[in-house]
Amino acid sequence: MATKTLTERPVPRGEPSLPQGIGRFNSGWKVFFAVGILIAGFGGYAYFREYTEGMGATGMRDVGTMGGATWGLYITMVVYLIGVSFAGITLAALIRLFRLEKLAPVARMAEVLTVVSLILGGLAIIVDLGQPIRGIINLFRYARPQSPFFGTFTLVIAGYLFASLVYTYLGGRRDAAVLSKVPSRLQGFHRRWAAGYQDTERERRRHWTASFWLALAIIPLLIIAHSTLGFVFGLQVGRPGWYGTLQAPAFVALAGVSGIGHLLILAAIARRTLGVRDRLRIEIFAWLGRFLLVTLLVYLYFMMVELLTLLYNTPEAEKALSDALLTGEYAWIYWGSVAALVMPVAILAYQALNSRWNIGWLVASGVLVNLAAVGKRYLIVVPSQTHGTLLPYDVGSYTPSWIEWAVVAGILALGALLIGLFMKSFPLLPLDESEREVMADA
Amino acid sequence: MTKYAMVVDLDRCQGCRACMEACKIENNTVESVFWMYVFRFEQGEFPDTEISFLPRPCQHCDNAPCVKVCPVGARFKRDDGLVLTDFDRCIGCRYCELACPYGVNYFNWSKPAKSYYSDAIDWKDPVLTGVTGGAVPAYKNPDLEGKYGEEQRHTAGGGHAKGVMEKCTFCVHRVEKGLLPACVETCPVQALRFGDVEDPESPISAFIREKSPWRLLEEAGTEPSVMYVGGKPPSSEVREIERPKARV
Repeated sequence: MATKTLTERPVPRGEPSLPQGIGRFNSGWKVFFAVGILIAGFGGYAYFREYTEGMGATGMRDVGTMGGATWGLYITMVVYLIGVSFAGITLAALIRLFRLEKLAPVARMAEVLTVVSLILGGLAIIVDLGQPIRGIINLFRYARPQSPFFGTFTLVIAGYLFASLVYTYLGGRRDAAVLSKVPSRLQGFHRRWAAGYQDTERERRRHWTASFWLALAIIPLLIIAHSTLGFVFGLQVGRPGWYGTLQAPAFVALAGVSGIGHLLILAAIARRTLGVRDRLRIEIFAWLGRFLLVTLLVYLYFMMVELLTLLYNTPEAEKALSDALLTGEYAWIYWGSVAALVMPVAILAYQALNSRWNIGWLVASGVLVNLAAVGKRYLIVVPSQTHGTLLPYDVGSYTPSWIEWAVVAGILALGALLIGLFMKSFPLLPLDESEREVMADA
Repeated sequence: MTKYAMVVDLDRCQGCRACMEACKIENNTVESVFWMYVFRFEQGEFPDTEISFLPRPCQHCDNAPCVKVCPVGARFKRDDGLVLTDFDRCIGCRYCELACPYGVNYFNWSKPAKSYYSDAIDWKDPVLTGVTGGAVPAYKNPDLEGKYGEEQRHTAGGGHAKGVMEKCTFCVHRVEKGLLPACVETCPVQALRFGDVEDPESPISAFIREKSPWRLLEEAGTEPSVMYVGGKPPSSEVREIERPKARV
């Protein structure tokens, strides 16, 4: 089957064909890269403005007498993007630990999603710092484990990103070894990735063992890492709406929701553009859909618990905040997010009960839950600052400036470019036996 | 050991905000920033209204949430009770500002002017040159650039660099010279008292023994070094009369 899809596409004469369209750019891809570079470049320009003019160029201001929010869209995106990274490596690890062979085709794209979203999350932290260069140095030089931020930097950005990179690298070596024998512009890259890998029985076993233990280590690491991000908010007594034991687990749950949603979208894109329809079978989407449904229900449960606790007997300090969230200024985001979480539950439950899965509806669910995730992250970060002061300051307001929107768009575009670049330089789906044979013949 | 604390006598405070002004001039703080801030509250419906005031400096907490969350130790607590910001080390993540329940932190959103009280004035204005004869009084307290404490860190004054956090220092540069903080020195009715609470002989210790003060947001567990006597903690009944929503 795979051989057929390979020969179906027009291959330029004289050049051996790499699988899954690697190294070949049709006009659609060229437009994609051009638009991506444009948006990322504009984001870069916006950040340059922010860097030179100071963060006064953003819509953020001090809480209290200045009546603003000191964390805004950037921290929302940090929390959201690090959340997205959750699903990728979890899934990759689960596939290995529980030998879910049928899901193997999405393992690598899940890993790539993790690595890329972690890089973007790190960038979003950097653009939020008033002294970014000093930040990069001092965060290591004067690191304090007592700060909840320590977990975000060491565990998430350093440990977790590094572990994911190693995991992706190890998992890709066998394919790299195959591709490194095919002459192409990318041969050098593939040879470096393979790094002398010969695919002997011993090597294969050693890789399997190393990856297995790494997967086993990654699971607790990522639960802790994502919890620390919840702790950034959950440990603060001085800010209504933040302090609570549910922050950490709810954070992990919503991280799962947004990550799996993203993976569904990416898998659907891969299925359409890479000519791997027969490998990304509907069963894989069905499995992801069910997984999304379960995590979504877990998150909705957390949300209900939180809401009931708040409504049953609202403490005075929380009153202004809960009013703003449920009926006031932020109500449209709150109820919009709730709708964007409940609708996918209906869509997914309907499909699961009928055992009939439609990729279009699954992608729609993925998009909806991600919009909801951004909304919910925003609602964690911002309203507690504008409506959550314990001293009777006047209510504040926050509207992101065009600089913030442009920087965020630039960061997301950079992510799309990185994933696109990976798709064009390495097989996004692990090579199957027939592809391997074709490569060996070439 | 010395342990500095401030007592605010709300029975005396008349809400004149002279302390706010003194603080700004002493510390060269950035526009629209009030390290010392005096709430002016109103309560009740006309004609049964009641006015009250609440000065709010940094509370220099003994269990300071801002110190706990700082990822690089730029915000720190000194042995003598002062909570200070090392503006050479601050990376501008603004976590301290969110951890603080009192809203006393101010971030430098843009590049600060060198001196807010000479840069803000157009000295070339013919009206002024007629009086000054062209001289520009470039006053900025030179003490603000010094290093203080055992740690010898840059902690005094404001308006130093863009992208760092600044807040009330209890006028560390004055206290180390044996002077009172500018707000305390200026208060025309001596509503603010400052001193060493570890020393049982000090006037502030005697005052505390006599008055049994309360502290702001005690439920947050921050153990502030700023105490209040008279008046009562602000409730949800009060509303601010003037809201200086000054934004840079």
